[in-house]
Amino acid sequence: MKNLANIFKAKKLIKISMSYDDKKNVIGSIKITGDFFIHPEDTLETLEANLADTKLERNEISKKVEESLKDSEAFGFDVNSMTDAILGCLKNE
Amino acid sequence: MKFSKIRVLETGHNPGSWNMALDEVLMNGVGEVPILKIYGWKPSCVSIGYFQSMDEEVNLEKCKEMEIDSVRRITGGGAVFHESELTYSFISKNYPQGIMQSYEMVCEMLTLTLKKLGFDAKFSPLNDIIVGGRKVCGNAQTRKHGVLLQHGTMLLDVNVEKMFTVLKVPKEKISDKAIEDVKQRVFGIGKKFELVASAMKDSTSETFSAELSFEDITEEEERQRQTLDSEKYSSKEWNFRR
Repeated sequence: MKNLANIFKAKKLIKISMSYDDKKNVIGSIKITGDFFIHPEDTLETLEANLADTKLERNEISKKVEESLKDSEAFGFDVNSMTDAILGCLKNE
Repeated sequence: MKFSKIRVLETGHNPGSWNMALDEVLMNGVGEVPILKIYGWKPSCVSIGYFQSMDEEVNLEKCKEMEIDSVRRITGGGAVFHESELTYSFISKNYPQGIMQSYEMVCEMLTLTLKKLGFDAKFSPLNDIIVGGRKVCGNAQTRKHGVLLQHGTMLLDVNVEKMFTVLKVPKEKISDKAIEDVKQRVFGIGKKFELVASAMKDSTSETFSAELSFEDITEEEERQRQTLDSEKYSSKEWNFRR
């Protein structure tokens, strides 16, 4: 497992840190922090849980983000920018 | 939106955990009468947004050295250095369901407050109030069990150098230019706390067509506040949970 991180400027700042299995190209665990808003707030924990064991590929990540956010309202980022923030960790490998 | 009555609490200047614990107690116990709480921070405090990391955002060593408090909020948004400001909390069971519309409802009262003080203030969605293009009031909200909490700060004075000392700002950003940039973007209104509080109470009554009921927190609220203060808002588990 490797530890990866990324800071991404969407409308608000998204900070990602994750453990990553580079042999399987899979996220181990992920922590997302930032100055954004999500209502209800516990959606972020659901998103983090749903992203564990997900392949670090655009379609997979985007699908998980969209599913996790479907009953919530987020301000400061959208599905695309959150996906970009997560994938951006690979650039900092 | 109109309310027949609004309960007003002026709780003075207290530590971060004290202030945040009382917000949650009031949210849990509010009835049909909304609450406006007006308060300040003593000692000065950095509050971080619900989704932020204390370690990532706050220079805790400097805070300790400068006797500045730190606490996590139950609302999202960014880290705020609370020193020379008036802070309010508005808590209500009745509010527009749209996030934007509910910000607009409370911010209408805040812009009127500033207008009464002589400023041409405007609501800048999602959650700011600006005067002459500069931010003068930042706000954040949460909703739990059908109750809205919006709290925010009205800047009386801004010490950008001190703010940059206690917040973890990347070194390359702590330049004279960056400090000047922030000074161009934020604005302290330079009025006394009591004067702003008075304008805010008048504006609340006018905006919501409400009679104001000036009260103290009850013994039961204080008992619950103490419990939440020590068990949650003063705890490492809460403040360092991310």
